[in-house]
Amino acid sequence: MAKLEVDEALVRKLAQLLTDTGLTEIEFESGDQRIRVNRQSLAAAPAALPSAAAAAAPAAPAEGPPAGAVTSPMVGTAYLSSEPGGTPFVKVGDRVTKGQTILIIEAMKVMNPIPAAAAGTVRDILVADGRPVEYGEVLMVVN
Amino acid sequence: MFEKVLIANRGEIALRIHRACREMGIRTVAVHSTADADAMHVRLADEAVCIGPPPSRQSYLNIPAILSAATIAGADAIHPGVGFLSENPVFAGMVEEHGFTFIGPAPEHIRLMGDKVAAKEAARSLGIPVVPGSDDVVTNDAEAMNIADRIGYPVLVKAAAGGGGKGMKVANARNEMAEALAVARAEAKANFNNDAVYLEKYLSHPRHIEIQILADAHGNVVHLGERDCSMQRRHQKLLEEAPSPALNANQRQRIGEIATGAMRRLGYRSAGTVEFLYQDGEFYFIEMNTRLQVEHPVSEMITGIDMVREQIRVATGAPLSFTQDEIVFTGHAIECRVNAENPETFAPSPGRITDYHAPGGLGVRVDSALYAGYRVPPNYDSLIAKLIVHGTTRNECLMRLRRALEEFVIGGVETSIPLHRRLVTAPDFINGAYDIRWLEKFVEPAA
Repeated sequence: MAKLEVDEALVRKLAQLLTDTGLTEIEFESGDQRIRVNRQSLAAAPAALPSAAAAAAPAAPAEGPPAGAVTSPMVGTAYLSSEPGGTPFVKVGDRVTKGQTILIIEAMKVMNPIPAAAAGTVRDILVADGRPVEYGEVLMVVN
Repeated sequence: MFEKVLIANRGEIALRIHRACREMGIRTVAVHSTADADAMHVRLADEAVCIGPPPSRQSYLNIPAILSAATIAGADAIHPGVGFLSENPVFAGMVEEHGFTFIGPAPEHIRLMGDKVAAKEAARSLGIPVVPGSDDVVTNDAEAMNIADRIGYPVLVKAAAGGGGKGMKVANARNEMAEALAVARAEAKANFNNDAVYLEKYLSHPRHIEIQILADAHGNVVHLGERDCSMQRRHQKLLEEAPSPALNANQRQRIGEIATGAMRRLGYRSAGTVEFLYQDGEFYFIEMNTRLQVEHPVSEMITGIDMVREQIRVATGAPLSFTQDEIVFTGHAIECRVNAENPETFAPSPGRITDYHAPGGLGVRVDSALYAGYRVPPNYDSLIAKLIVHGTTRNECLMRLRRALEEFVIGGVETSIPLHRRLVTAPDFINGAYDIRWLEKFVEPAA
């Protein structure tokens, strides 16, 4: 019987192939020699808790909303301007005064203007025009 | 069939509704408060919308928020569950005005039965026996005294806008009437914002027996038998069983026919429960719940009928899947309500569940939204699980219940499981010999 020699170059090549292609196992056979290279998947065992449905609200980041986060006080649809296609109330970088309307949330056909809680600068706008929003959702960051 | 149903409730009943929807291929939308963001049904639902902060008034009772959520989620129908808005006729009407189907009865029947005085009058005119009492609200104390003299003491003063056992006070004799009236009015005002009261004869040892009704929009009405819910503390049910150990087949059939006949004449639709006090062979109507009830699984176990599925089907306009003759009652079922509370003091015990192991095996069903790591929030009622067991006989059911209770592990909060374990070995309970006052005496601290 021929001495079993490990073709190191082949193993490395197969390992590289795994990485490059994202496969988890390759088996290569030639003559009476066969090599199998397997990457242990890190997929967890079936979760003890039911996995959140993909469409469910994503988990909030552990550190909580950033300073100056404007959270939605209601469920509805967010509008960034007073009429469709109109100029947005604010854009990133704008300075706003306390009480200035920064967006509208429409709920049950009633338009609810959302004011800036304090004077500041609009740092981030996290909701797109016409998108549904839920209670507590972070809409903008103003500080 | 509906494509998407919004579940306007929380806890184990929201999970129950989600399960029925899922089995019918209907997508679910779970609305929830911030306190329930990690609730089981929220995690399992197809979509979730946060509708408000923890307080019920700003979330689960927040009609605009719920309707708004239904709009943005594109729901077809809304199931109101139990409690909260399920018996709010304004909500039911608004749901329909906004183009959604309300999975429940017509708003006018919710309104009718929500007014306890009107409900009693309606029951009487529909041929349902009622508790003797004042025919209407009592306008002044003198009138109340006269009526009480006529009915005979002891007399119960009850809130007209009440329910759930609140706003009720007993007067054992004429000289107690003035105080009973005053206290009942005050409690009614505080709980229901309406101090109108009426009087009823106080029954000394009644059982609480209720008939489960299911009806479709085509005039078909059936009953799923009775439930005996006499195990109550402060008018809150702790354990329910079906059939009632106190009724024989004739009585069951008689009261079933009375209830279904009445509902047929009323033109009722969806699920509902007609509640009676039963004493010395006589039934007395006390109220009707125009919604699904917490204890509905007991009736499901003895009939094999999925009541939430039927509610949903009926709401689409479909006829009931069965006639009364096709309903077969099999065996006996008992439900234990497991509350997050101290089993002796009944002090609420919210907190984080550290261990959870539900019992299993043949004839054992657990309806619960708990899981290890879940935080039971302090803002809502204390019901955290329902243990329902079924057996071919009441005895077998009792043995199974005892066994299942032994296996049930809920760690991290105090629960009523120890109380249930005591209950199932109590001779009176084993003999089925208990009335609506029995449990209070049983849990009274030893003198």
